[in-house]
Amino acid sequence: MVAAMRIVIIGNGVAGMEAALAVRNREPSWDITLVSEESDHFFSRTALMWVFSGQMSHRDIEPLERDAYERLGFRRVRARAIGVDTERRQVSFAGGQEPVAYDRLLIASGSRPRPGPWPGSEARGVGHFVTLQDLDWYEREVHGGTSLAGGPPRPRLHATGRSSDSPYRFREVAAERRGRLAQQPAVIGGGLIGIEAVEVAVTAGLRPHFFIREEWFWPIALDPKEALWISDRMAQHGVEVHLEHEIEALDTDSDGNVVAVRTNRGRYPSDCVVIGIGVTPNTAWLAEAGIDLDDRGGIVVDEGLQTSVTDVFAAGDCASVRWFDGTRRPEQLWYTARDQGRVAGRRLLGDAPRYDRGTWYNSVKLMDIEYTTAGLVNWKLDGEENWFFEEKGRVRSTTRIVTQGGHVVGFNMLGRRWDHSVLTRWIEERRTLDWVLRHLNDAAFDTELVPRLRVRRA
Amino acid sequence: MDQQGQNGLLATYREGWRNRSVVGIAFSALLVSFYVVLYWEHKVHQHLGIAPLTAISEAAGLRNRWYLYGALYSVAMITGGIYYLRRHGNSRYNRFRITVNVAIQVALGFTLPFIMPLFGGQELYFSYFWPLKYDYLYPQTLADLPLYFALYTVVGSLLAAPVLAVLYGKRWYCSWVCGCGGLANTFGDPWRHLTSKSTKSWRFEQVSVHLVLFIAIATTFLIGLDSLIGAEHPTFHRIVVGEHWQDWSIKSFYGFTVGAILAGVIGTGLYPVFGPRVWCRNFCPMAAVLGWVQKIGRYRIKVKPGMCISCGNCSTYCEMGIDVRSYAQADESFTRASCVGCGMCAHMCPRGVLKLENTWDRSEDKERQKLSVVDF
Ligand SMILES: Cc1cc2nc3c(=O)[nH]c(=O)nc-3n(C[C@H](O)[C@H](O)[C@H](O)COP(=O)(O)OP(=O)(O)OC[C@H]3O[C@@H](n4cnc5c(N)ncnc54)[C@H](O)[C@@H]3O)c2cc1C
Ligand code: SF4
Ligand code: SF4
Repeated sequence: MVAAMRIVIIGNGVAGMEAALAVRNREPSWDITLVSEESDHFFSRTALMWVFSGQMSHRDIEPLERDAYERLGFRRVRARAIGVDTERRQVSFAGGQEPVAYDRLLIASGSRPRPGPWPGSEARGVGHFVTLQDLDWYEREVHGGTSLAGGPPRPRLHATGRSSDSPYRFREVAAERRGRLAQQPAVIGGGLIGIEAVEVAVTAGLRPHFFIREEWFWPIALDPKEALWISDRMAQHGVEVHLEHEIEALDTDSDGNVVAVRTNRGRYPSDCVVIGIGVTPNTAWLAEAGIDLDDRGGIVVDEGLQTSVTDVFAAGDCASVRWFDGTRRPEQLWYTARDQGRVAGRRLLGDAPRYDRGTWYNSVKLMDIEYTTAGLVNWKLDGEENWFFEEKGRVRSTTRIVTQGGHVVGFNMLGRRWDHSVLTRWIEERRTLDWVLRHLNDAAFDTELVPRLRVRRA
Repeated sequence: MDQQGQNGLLATYREGWRNRSVVGIAFSALLVSFYVVLYWEHKVHQHLGIAPLTAISEAAGLRNRWYLYGALYSVAMITGGIYYLRRHGNSRYNRFRITVNVAIQVALGFTLPFIMPLFGGQELYFSYFWPLKYDYLYPQTLADLPLYFALYTVVGSLLAAPVLAVLYGKRWYCSWVCGCGGLANTFGDPWRHLTSKSTKSWRFEQVSVHLVLFIAIATTFLIGLDSLIGAEHPTFHRIVVGEHWQDWSIKSFYGFTVGAILAGVIGTGLYPVFGPRVWCRNFCPMAAVLGWVQKIGRYRIKVKPGMCISCGNCSTYCEMGIDVRSYAQADESFTRASCVGCGMCAHMCPRGVLKLENTWDRSEDKERQKLSVVDF
């Protein structure tokens, strides 16, 4: 019989919640406290775009029923943590809230949007698309308010103890100040959050500017041919795609509302600007805690997700873990946060599991084009070769298979659905290109009635 | 071009009439009143002195108000089908399914029964089976039916329907053939997100749907017994079948509560409040039977492991109120008895996590992730 522990978890995102569930699953009587500045309920950050468009309600993006805290006996603290005293084992809060003591602590404080480095980045009408509060701001700018299913419950509860630096602060809305909704949004940053912010603006009937610094869209994942297809599709939907644009400043009017984006190539009038240039670990509040951070601000953890301090663990976007290539950095993904949360939960219970990241994979939808990737793509490996096939029939798709030394090391697939678990297995089994092409449809995950892919070998 | 996922984002929660707004509720009230008049026009006539639907039918040259209903039903199916195809028709599965379903219903559910009497035949519905069409297995009904149709009904209800459900899941009927399901998927599509996903609603469904099934079987059994012993036991006969068709009896009680109230007034009238599959999910005895069969058959929804982002699009758009996300985020392939195989969860999923399939292979289902949200 283990003595009852007081578990405190900072963050009720997927990492924090999975850990809390893992603990509760085994220890019905332990004291579990979940701290969140952002929201009362656990919700899926990945789903913000659908709330914006009206495809889902706030309730729909919450994976648990709203009585989950009561039913599972989780203590809810809705406040901003401002420090950890690892000597006295307690967490302190803004707004004069009592500190909370712990025996074991998990930090799962996620990421925060990287702020824009340009003049005007903090103007009224400029924001991000990462937190619930960002969603609230963007909806007010474009739609004038949340959709019919209502806002999140008690959204402004934590107004006390807010700071102008918090990623969970509410922003002033230029549309409300002007008395006119945004007509010409602009999105800066050609990554995944950027394309989501663009797509939802299109759904609202607008024609957003999309500023991308690189030569083509999303070069870490796509090659020029693949990216061209995506850019064309965006243009068809009314997006003004601007490649190779360096932002210089965001111009404001005398009232402080944003009015234009200035780049090295011109000035583009805009009345609402979303900056989507990436996220960084949300760990500034730990500066004084004496917990080791890496140079990106990620919390350094060992393979069991323990930080440099005993009984303090970290999981999810804020943790800097060792990757398969030996480097150390945060993994800013939903499913890795989920898996890390499960491992951290077992650490909080006193087990000694290891967090082991297998072969890389991911999937997203770029506008309406589905994308699956696995293994090493666009790594510019020594002697790598890329086999490319474009299908233009009833189904339009592209298939790119990367080989090195005769073995398949990566897949990049657009337009069809693939089972990445089969693709990663083939990579681990070091299959040849020939073998893979013969068996390719064993990894097909298309819906029924969709004709199978037939590749022609050049 | 063929695609599989939703094309473009939906604005469901920004459209008032789809979200229990005043307009939505008023529309629901209108539908409910329509069904009340349809089923009990004689009562309306007694009290108010008008018979609106009969009057309209006569003006339109239709034999009676049921033909008017058939015509309105066909119009609702077709316009709803067009609405559905415009929203979700970029996927082949959706396109084929809705086209087949609408065609079957317009042909077998309306046109054929309409034409047959013109050629001196009986009005017969080839697209319905017992226990949904509950009176088709009553001995008296069977005796009155043409022999070929009696055989069709018996073999279809007791053999073909379950065997097809073993091979392809209940979807072959509920999503490709059935008139109630067809109306829900076309005319009812705007409200599919309103079906409750709560655990409470799941518990309610499990009790209610099996209760109706029990009543359906018991009623069929008692009426069958009556045809054997009814002549010698007048009291039994009176209770089970009644002297006249309008008397209160077990037979007319089933027709009244299940056939009229649950399937019509509540099942369709409340689409804009509780979502389109109220009847199918909570009351349909055919769905209950096929659900059991589906559990032992080949059909399942396969989950691609480790890719779910818990967004909830699948659960939101599941018209049967299944919390698909809870299985997907636990990497658990699954078969739920109530799943009608409409394919919408796979269609809505932005990460291509889900796939409907027919297979005996259950190996992956066992590789469950123990530590996950669905344990609770
Ligand atoms: C728009 C968008 C789309 C995305 N799409 C995908 C996708 O398709 N696929 C994918 O794999 N990933 C996606 N991601 C990334 C994914 O959402 C994250 O990796 C994941 O949510 C990280 O979870 P987490 O639990 O580590 O942190 P978070 O979800 O960020 O949770 C952080 C928690 O910590 C709390 N917190 C932080 N600081 C404090 C403090 N000082 N005091 C109190 N509480 C605090 C917050 O209240 C919050 O509850 C997307 C992200 C965004 C923004
Ligand atoms: S689980 Fe999927 S296929 Fe089954 S009824 Fe729900 S949405 Fe349709
Ligand atoms: S299965 Fe797909 S739609 Fe459902 S929650 Fe997971 S990612 Fe979202």
